[in-house]
Amino acid sequence: MEKEKAGLTRRDFVKGVSLAAVGGASMGGASMGGASMGGAVGLPGVEEEIQEPQSTSRVVLIRDEGVVSEGGGIDADGIQQMLDQALMSLLGLESPSDCWKSLIKPDDVVGIKTNIWRFLPTPPEVENAIRRGVKLAGVPEENIGMGDQDVLRKEIFQRTTALINSRPMRTHSWSGVGSLIKNYIMFDTPSDYHDDACADLAKLWELPSVKGKTRMNVLVMLTPQYHNVGPHHFDPIYTWPYKGLIVSTDPVAADAVGLRIIQAKRREAFGEDRPLQPRAHHIQLAETVHKLGVADMDRIDLVRLGWTGEELI
Amino acid sequence: MLFPETIGDWVRQDTSITYDRETIFDYINGAGEVYRSYAFSHVLVDRYEKSGGQAVTVEVFDMGNPEDAFGVFSYAREQEEEGIGAGYERKGSVLCFWQDRFFVCIAAEQRDADPEAVLGEVARGISETLPAPGPRPALMTALPSEGLVPFSDRFFHTHQSLNYHYYLVRENVLNLTPETDVVLARYQPGSTYLLVIRYEKGEDASAALSSFRGAILPGFEDMETVATEEGMYTSSSHQGRFVVVVLDAGSEDAANSLRMAALESLEPLLQ
Repeated sequence: MEKEKAGLTRRDFVKGVSLAAVGGASMGGASMGGASMGGAVGLPGVEEEIQEPQSTSRVVLIRDEGVVSEGGGIDADGIQQMLDQALMSLLGLESPSDCWKSLIKPDDVVGIKTNIWRFLPTPPEVENAIRRGVKLAGVPEENIGMGDQDVLRKEIFQRTTALINSRPMRTHSWSGVGSLIKNYIMFDTPSDYHDDACADLAKLWELPSVKGKTRMNVLVMLTPQYHNVGPHHFDPIYTWPYKGLIVSTDPVAADAVGLRIIQAKRREAFGEDRPLQPRAHHIQLAETVHKLGVADMDRIDLVRLGWTGEELI
Repeated sequence: MLFPETIGDWVRQDTSITYDRETIFDYINGAGEVYRSYAFSHVLVDRYEKSGGQAVTVEVFDMGNPEDAFGVFSYAREQEEEGIGAGYERKGSVLCFWQDRFFVCIAAEQRDADPEAVLGEVARGISETLPAPGPRPALMTALPSEGLVPFSDRFFHTHQSLNYHYYLVRENVLNLTPETDVVLARYQPGSTYLLVIRYEKGEDASAALSSFRGAILPGFEDMETVATEEGMYTSSSHQGRFVVVVLDAGSEDAANSLRMAALESLEPLLQ
């Protein structure tokens, strides 16, 4: 089996090519390749940073065996510590306060884009940890908003200067996975992005209400969902206590790591390589077509912190 | 269709909400596209409770016709049982069945010690209010039974659905539309796929086959069976309004045999 890239199986990746007759010409379809890319991150003082071709992205995967209880309860203090440690490692700074101050200015208006899907929402413990961090940067409460399906209706999201993006990863019947990239779909008309298994979700990140504003992405992997029940239902039998957070300034890289874990879990659970349906190609295309970030695992600097049991990556 | 007021000890909560092709996204976000890829017109959602705090959500999707009700039932099914509607599947706390033009799902709001019994009772109560079950789409008979992997057979219409079940290429090289009928199934040995498509006209089928071969098998457009990379074989042909494609066969003989068997199965539909 050829080495997987970006968490997509070989079948996902080269299906079109593999179908080409032996000796025949190659055909259309996405392919991995190095490309220059515009950073998704709008750090203070860094205007539209353009990364060099073949750039890398750092991603921190942090896990804590005790952060989710047997009954599914989430330890708020544990989450806070995980987020603090992840940020310090990611940014190379000494304290959570320094981290948040490097990301957010006191006069920023900050929108926290969460996810309220009723079966597997962004946990309040994660939302609160992010909110606390934004306050550490000196942002007053009245300049902090949180929203999901209501972001176009909430006044504060009309004037945000910075965004923090957080959601759980789960399998999805139309896009392959619900990802950080996809989490911004409520900033526009969602159905406009459904073509070809949501191939071009990364376009969302070019919207004026979003572009250049995202300071941090937190992919929640506490109890991710690795398989669907029918087209749209949910059952916790297809979640598992992975007890992790994936943190990065690059949403594509964070999603690529999360996707790889989901696919590894599917192999473990099903005892065979069962590709996602549909394949989550919007993550790969976010790099190859839209230059939003890095999906190639070979160019992701993955830092692992905390519990390493059943890591799956 | 009206929900029964009671089903055994279950009492309807009179919270019915209807979502149509446009508002379906308000209920189930992007996954609503799965239903919209069929002739789905609307879904009626309600809730039943019984003493002790148990509650279930009931969804009745009007899929427009029995073929599409089976189609959406087949979309993600991994098992199938008889005894409710024309067939049902339970996964965890969700039970779905299809009957006539309806696709029905019952979802328990709490984990239950015996979900099959709880969900089955409500499902049977809903089933009694629906028209009698009908047969599966006639095109399903084009699938030869020998080697067919159980419950791998799907019925759908569009290119996006094909790529969900078997990723071919991004482009719609088979010219699939909401009007084309498609069946896909997996066969053993190996993991061979058989695709049978019914077009509106014979010339549509011919054009689709040319398009498929030109895109997938460039330089080999005149050949029915072609070796591809990885030692696999692809075989394709058309007959009347139908196109038959075998993908990922382990040998040339296997590819040809499955294609010929499908063409033979199609004969009654050619009349």
